[in-house]
This record gives sequence, structure tokens and C-alpha cells, in this order.
Amino acid sequence: MGKTVLIVDDSATMRQMVAFTLSSAGYDVIEAGDGKEAVDKISAGSKPDLVVTDLNMPEMDGIALIKELRRMPSLRFIPILMLTTESSEEKKKEGKAAGATGWIVKPFNPDVMLKTVAKVLPA
Amino acid sequence: MSNDFAQFQDAFFEEAAEHLGTVEEGLLQLERHPDDMELLNRIFRAVHSIKGNSGMFGFATISQFTHKMESVLDRLRNRQMAVSGPVMETLLKATDLLKTLIEAAKSNAPTDESVVGLLSQQLDTCQTTPSASPAAAQLGPMKTDQRGRRTSFLISWVPPRNLFRRGLDPVQTMRELERIGTLAKVKLDSSRLPDITSLDPEECYLAWVFDLVTTKDQDAVEAVFEFVREEGNLRIMEVPIEEDPAGPAERPSHPNGDARSESGRKPLGEILLESGAISPPALSQALAQQKKLGEILVAQKAVTPQQITQALEKQEAQAKKLDSTSIRVETGKIDKLINLVGELVITQSMLSDLGARFELRHLPLLLERMAQLERNTREIQERVMGIRMLPIGTAFSRFPRLVRDLAAKSGKKIQLVLSGEETEVDKTVIESIGDPLTHLIRNSADHGLEPPAERLKSNKSEQGTIRLNACHAGGNICITVEDDGRGLNRDKILAKAVAQGLITEHDKLSDDQIWALIFKPGFSTAEKVTDVSGRGVGMDVVKRNIEGLGGTVCVRTAPGKGTVFTLKLPLTLAIIDGMSVRIGKETYIVPLLSILESIQPGADAIKTVVGKGELVNVRGTYLPMTRLYEVFATEPEHTDPNEAILLILEAEGERVAVMVDEILGQQQVVIKSMEQNFRKVEGIAGATILGDGTVGFILDVRGLLDIARRAELMAA
Repeated sequence: MGKTVLIVDDSATMRQMVAFTLSSAGYDVIEAGDGKEAVDKISAGSKPDLVVTDLNMPEMDGIALIKELRRMPSLRFIPILMLTTESSEEKKKEGKAAGATGWIVKPFNPDVMLKTVAKVLPA
Repeated sequence: MSNDFAQFQDAFFEEAAEHLGTVEEGLLQLERHPDDMELLNRIFRAVHSIKGNSGMFGFATISQFTHKMESVLDRLRNRQMAVSGPVMETLLKATDLLKTLIEAAKSNAPTDESVVGLLSQQLDTCQTTPSASPAAAQLGPMKTDQRGRRTSFLISWVPPRNLFRRGLDPVQTMRELERIGTLAKVKLDSSRLPDITSLDPEECYLAWVFDLVTTKDQDAVEAVFEFVREEGNLRIMEVPIEEDPAGPAERPSHPNGDARSESGRKPLGEILLESGAISPPALSQALAQQKKLGEILVAQKAVTPQQITQALEKQEAQAKKLDSTSIRVETGKIDKLINLVGELVITQSMLSDLGARFELRHLPLLLERMAQLERNTREIQERVMGIRMLPIGTAFSRFPRLVRDLAAKSGKKIQLVLSGEETEVDKTVIESIGDPLTHLIRNSADHGLEPPAERLKSNKSEQGTIRLNACHAGGNICITVEDDGRGLNRDKILAKAVAQGLITEHDKLSDDQIWALIFKPGFSTAEKVTDVSGRGVGMDVVKRNIEGLGGTVCVRTAPGKGTVFTLKLPLTLAIIDGMSVRIGKETYIVPLLSILESIQPGADAIKTVVGKGELVNVRGTYLPMTRLYEVFATEPEHTDPNEAILLILEAEGERVAVMVDEILGQQQVVIKSMEQNFRKVEGIAGATILGDGTVGFILDVRGLLDIARRAELMAA
């Protein structure tokens, strides 16, 4: 049974690239176009083992999504990685305060992404 | 080993081709922006990827050769040598060779080792040429520290309290550490555990001291703690392996870590200094490195115009970054398609419902639903075609290099301006448009544009411009190749055409007719044959290729101002506009583009001439006539040309009259290949399914011309 990763990004290309990288490594992938869609999918019964989310998105941004997910009992302790274009300390701090596990800097290198995912997602 | 990866070889070649494009494009840009570090890095990465991947597939020659390229690029990147003409020349040549090597690997062909050796040597020598750049500073921070020796790190880690709530797991961290080395000792520090009554099970109160033996450097160790290091108190101390690791391990970790006070923390460096983990110089060195990001930002704020242009070009390049290896389809496009299919299904069920209880009075309803079906189908067709559409920029990308080479060879100054690269066109068209465009651009560079001196004399800027533009025009794509050169020389073309017997001196030709002469086989007015063009092959090939794609080419010119070639191509090759004609009981499709006119010949228009076969007189010109029913051996309605209809078809500038029984009408047809499903049949380009479900053959006009020519020979 593979691990399921929920990818949240408003850029379809970015979603596809992340999805491609992860699914070629054997992860099952669910996609959502923004925070709201992600919450909807989870409410509808999706159970991700890991969430990878962009920060700047319409409807509900990444930080709000992380906060929202951490309020859900089932997602309280799962790893959540944020995809960020800037590696500024400010953003990282904000993310960590919201409950983000870690971050992946865009543009990402597939190897780095897989390593980071392996780092936070227990095998 | 490498066989396991054989299935990925195609992907490798595709990717390598992409990387080659990046390298070539990058090198050309680098000539203009020798200080663009990002560009250099990009080129380096592309070469590096090819090297890495080719190694995986056992292409030793490629990986060794790319290694040489890589080291030259690395030296450029580290400012150990400057971007100069000879270096660029060598790198571009190397790129060409690399292309050849990859092609050879793809087709399992042998490679010319001597050429590889020669260029490898050139790559080596251009490296040893001393640096011309005084700023041989360490601009590109390269890690040269390849640590082979084992070190022991003493790591004291007080995780952040909210560790669990951030989805982190200390066990994962330990696994990560095990991945880069061996955990010789793990010591748990449970001193922060509060009284059981005040314990919050979601908080992390534990801390650890690890003794890690690894060959990696401190950066690698720190990377393990990337997500937890700021708020947790992390101390990493390098202990030489000879030393007794028990000594430092004895040192207790601070009982009440600084993690307690989130805000008023001491800087990490200070703590490390206090604990003696690092020396002041080491700290300041690390801090100096840290400042780099700030430096970059400052530099970006103080932008120079050049930087702005560079940034803009970069942005544009990214926006135009095209992917030809696979077709990426917007989800929106697919959703629309699914929607349409849904509508199609509804229309179908409405129709079958109507059919089940059809009465004549329902006829208007039937017609309405048929119209709806037609609308659905057409829309689906358009959308599906849209999926195969790719930006034409992929076909344009090779031209900057071409123009650069042409300029260098001819001593002219040429600027190539591309526009409309994002114009979408069917993938097959993109694949076949490259060669004709290459000919046209060569032609413009060689014949069209004047040498600098001549340009200055005629009050033009020294640098000539070639513009390559693509745009949509109706159901076609329109590509123009425009130069601001001398324009076509009317008199020269006329004189040459007369000399070659294409026309006589007395022919009165319109300008357009004169310009059209340059597309005749064997025509060239260039005074001297150059390396580049002027051998009289080219323009006729261009015309033939474009027509082969179902397109047209025309030329406009103004003396002293320049020449514009306009290519018009169908957006797709899978569907053509055809004229359906009947011969006996069979229906054939004639490509609409090749039909000039249709006539009913007069009683005395048909002549049989010895050595020429049957000819038909069309307003004074005799054209060869082909009886299609003879070619396809069918039973016609009419065998007398006077009762039948003659279609005048044109291909490659030659005309032929073909005899059919009746013209049925114009329609779009989908081409199905004959070769793939049956075999090649002379005179037939393909087949299609007609409205009544029968198969209709699509005529191959060029093939019919051949048949007509042969008939002449037979008659002779």
C-alpha cells in the first residue's frame, strides 16, 4: 500500500511536475488547485499521509491551509511540506508557526524533493 | 546493469536533445552576456545532466567528452578564465560534436574517435590558456572539499516543543543520520520532562545527544536538521576520529535549553562560540558566507540597465521555454472535451429516441438535432486538433545559431528577430517546417542582405536584420521570413531566366510572375557560389516541401528595401480540404489546393500527339491529359472527354488535366494512410471514409504527374 500525497498548488504545471516526481517514486498522488479544494477533498474522505502545498494561492493560501489541516484530528501529526519560491527566513518561520513540517524551494530538483519527502514521511 | 535502464533510453535521448538545445542557446546568449552567472550555471547543469545520464546508459565516449566540456564550463563559472571568442568557438564546436555523438549512440553507429580526440584536446588546451579575467575571485561558490576521511560529530539536539504538531518525528531524524553515517552513540536527555500531571502529550520534552561517525562534512549533518534547527538548540561539534569521543560526550547538554524562550534567544553562533564548538575565525567565515544572499539582493537593487535587459530576456526565455518531448495538455482543454463528449452522448440519445418513434411530422426536429450533432462533432474535432498543437518556437530555436554561423562566414553583421514563437501549429507541421525555413533564412543572409560596406553606402545601418514571424491567419499558419536587404533584382532574374531558357526575351511578365521564377529548379542569380548558398538548389526545394505540406509560398520584394517570403501552411496535416469527384460508381477526393480549374473541353480540344500522348488545349496551352478510369482501371460513365469533366491540377509548377465523370462537391476529409494499412499505391495519397461509409481515395497529384509523364514516354 503506497503512501498518499496531497499536492496543493494553483499552477497546473507545478502540480503535474510534483505529481510526476512523486508518482514515479511510487507515491499515490491527489491534487488540489487551492487550499479550499484541498480541504474539500479531505472533508470528502481523502486521507493523505503527506501534504505538499504551495503558499501563494487563490481562495485559501498555504499558511491558512496548514492551520486548517492542523485543526483536523486526523491530520494533526502528518507531515506538511510547503513549496516556496523564496527561501526567506520570514516565510519559513511563518510556516513553522502554522505547523509546517518543512519546505521545498521552487524550482525544485526532483532528487531533492524525493529526499525531503523521504525525510519527513516514515517509510 | 545498464540494460536495466534500456527502457529509459528513449527518454534519455529526448532529454539530451533538450539539454543540447539549452547548451547551444545558452552559449549563444553567453557571447552577448559573458557575465551572466545564471546562464553559465544553466549551461553547466545541462552538460552535467547529459554526462550523468550517458554514464548510466554506458555511453562512455559521451560521458568522457561531456566531462571535458564540463570542466571548461566550470572554469568559466569560477572565473578562472574569461568568456572569449576562441573558447566559445571551441564550446560550440564541442556542442555540435556532442550532438553527433548522441545521434550515433541513438542509431548504434560508430563514432569517429579521431574527431572526438581532437576536440577533447582543444577543450583541454583552451582551459590551460591563462585567465584573462582579473576578477578571478570565487564568485561561484564551489564546494571542492571532497572529504574522504571519517569524522565524528557530536550533536546535541533539543527539538522544538511543537515538533510533533509540525508533523515531525525524531525517529525520522535519527534514520536520516544513519543514512549519512553511523550513530555510534545516542543519549537521551529526558531532563526537561515535566511532572506527569502537567505533561502535554503533544509537546516534545525530550532531547538527544548523538555521536555520528561519517565521511560527510558538517553541511551534510546540518542538512539533516534543516527543518528543526532554528528553534531547537542544535550544536554540532567536529571531533577528530583519533580523539577519545568519550571526552566531549561527557559534557552535559544544557538542562534547560534555549528552546524554552522562543523570542529572546541568543544567536546560534554565540552559543557555539561559548561552548567552544567553533573558533571565532570559523564563525566569522561562516557569517561572511551567510551574507552572500544579502549581497546578491543589494546588487539586484542597484540594477544597471544591462541587468534589466538580462532579467527581461531571462523572463522571456522562461516564458517561452518549450517542451517538445511530450504533449502537455491543459486540464481545462480536457474538461471542455469531456463536456463536449457528454453533449455528443446526449445528442445521440436524443436522436435514437427520435428514431425509435419516428413520424414524418418530426422531420424538422430531426433536422435540428442533426445540426446539433454536426455542431458537436465539429467542435470536438477542433478541440482534439488543439491538443496536438504546439508552439512553433520549437522549430525556430535552431535559427539563432544558424544566423550566427552565417554571419561569421560571410563577414556580414546580421541580427535575427524572432516573433510569434508561441503560435500553435500541429506537431507534424513543426517537424517538417525546419528545412524549408533553413533554406529561406540562408537565402536571406546570403543573397538578401548586403555586406556592411554596401549597406552603409545605401544609408542603412551596418547590421542587417532578418525577421522570422509566425501568426495565425484563418485556418492557416502564416510564417514570414523578412530581410531588410537589397531586394530581388528584376533585371538579373529576367536575364538569368532567359539564359536558362525558362522564358523567352519577348515574354511579358508581371512582377509577381518574375518573382515566381526564383522557385524554378536550378535557378540562382548569385554571382558566386558560396559555401552557404547559390548552387541553384534551395528555392525550388522550399517550394516543393511547402507544397508537400499542403501549403503555399510567395514572395514580395522592394528594391533596396528588402524581401519578404510568406509561407502559408495548414494547421494540421491530418485533415485536408478536398473536392470529391465521381468516376463511374467510385468517389475520389482531389486536394483542393492543387485544383486550378475545371473545364468541359470543346470537341476539337483533345489532340493525340505522337510522343506526347493525349493533350488538351486549354486556352492555347496544351496540357497532358490523364484518363483516371484507365489509371485506376474502373468502369467510367463517360469515355469521351467531351462529355466528361477535366480538372486542371497543378503540382511542382507543372500542370495536368485529369478526366472525371462528375464533380460532387467540396468537403473536409480525414486522411488515413495507405502505406500503414495496405501498401503504397501510385497516384493515391491516402484514403478516407466518406459520408455514406464507403472508402474514397485521395489523389496524389504529384504521382499523377509522373504517370502522365510516363504515358508520354510510352507513346513515344
